[in-house]
Amino acid sequence: MVKGLHQKNRAAFDLLYNQYKGALYGSIKRIVKNEDVAEEVLQDAFLKIWNKIDTYDREKGRLFTWMLNVCRNLAIDKLRSGEINKESKTDSLENSVSKVETTVQIEQSTETIGLPESLIQLPEEQRFVVEFLYLKGYTQSELAEEFNIPLGTIKTRLRLAMVQLRSIYQVS
Amino acid sequence: MNIEEYISSGILEAYVLGELSSAEKKAVEQNILLYPEIKEELRQIEIAQEMLMMDLSIEPNSNVKEKIFEAIEKETRVDGKGKVVTMPGWWKFSLAASIALALVSSLLAIRYYYKWKEVDSNLIELLVQNQKIAAEYNTVNQRIDKIESDLKIANSPSFTRTIMNGTDNAPESVAFVYWNASTQDVYLSIEKMRELSQANQYQLWAIVDGRPVDVGVFDSTLSGLLKMKNVAAASAFAVTIEKSGGSTTPSLQTMQVIGNVIKG
Repeated sequence: MVKGLHQKNRAAFDLLYNQYKGALYGSIKRIVKNEDVAEEVLQDAFLKIWNKIDTYDREKGRLFTWMLNVCRNLAIDKLRSGEINKESKTDSLENSVSKVETTVQIEQSTETIGLPESLIQLPEEQRFVVEFLYLKGYTQSELAEEFNIPLGTIKTRLRLAMVQLRSIYQVS
Repeated sequence: MNIEEYISSGILEAYVLGELSSAEKKAVEQNILLYPEIKEELRQIEIAQEMLMMDLSIEPNSNVKEKIFEAIEKETRVDGKGKVVTMPGWWKFSLAASIALALVSSLLAIRYYYKWKEVDSNLIELLVQNQKIAAEYNTVNQRIDKIESDLKIANSPSFTRTIMNGTDNAPESVAFVYWNASTQDVYLSIEKMRELSQANQYQLWAIVDGRPVDVGVFDSTLSGLLKMKNVAAASAFAVTIEKSGGSTTPSLQTMQVIGNVIKG
């Protein structure tokens, strides 16, 4: 019976992997950029998710958030460890398979190419914050420091961005 | 605390981003429990983040999945008898995850259907019922699995059954120990034992050469068979009441049940 439980666990984990692999890999690859490194981080992340599932507490938030943070933190650690060049532009987004609507690109300025429609709809200073935090792996403090913006302003802009996104995605 | 100000500060957005320190996180978690408005705000932020991340999806290469599952198999430790020893708590999700994901995909299918035709509301009702039945089916299946495996042990000739009868402390109590002298496996089941307070637990002892040896703790709510610590030799088994977690020596004055091992 114990073996059967293990198989059921594997089946649940399998479903979760299939459902979220794109979203989680996307978060990792946009931070580390290099494909081989991103795959390695994805593997490490899912192994960690498998092993640490007992530490997930639903009173603290949704499962996806927990998994995303595991992935993001591993990706940021990898970036900081110096294994890859943060400024590297060699593996660009163009090489990745993404869900971006290609028809929208014609109307976009060069600044917003490759971004999903939802982000293009954000006011520039809000989009800027979301880009650096979610697509480039900056922390709020790093962003504040590098661009000389007060931390409180970063937090407020992120807040506003998320409120906008909730409306765009019709979250209720 | 001013909830509106707290929410407007963007602390919840920083929380879902994973950027707060442990102390800051704990404070947010307290507030989530205390204030339903904060819990609801958090839920909406999390959903928006999830949808954003889905929009930012990039497909990994298909071979990555194999590598992950290989690594998991390596991690899954197995004892000498081929039994899986360490297991993270995915059992919590076997039901919830599969049902939730199945429900999501069936609802997405319905939303697509909506685009082209009018949907029969009975169809949705049926689909939801289906998921509920599937969930109950799984629960029943799991219970049956456990009953079958317990029965195998109880009926097995390699297991000696010791009946532990009530002492003066608990004349009505009865419990059973199933012991396989060659594999040293021990299982316990309760026939009738008093409810205990949260601070205490029952502890099983094997009497070996007149001395008590700890075999493990258990609660009065136990149903079915519970696997205890292994025992190499015993002339009797007994249960005492100890503080939760057990004790290194038995509080003999609390002894609840005791029985001599009768070798067949």
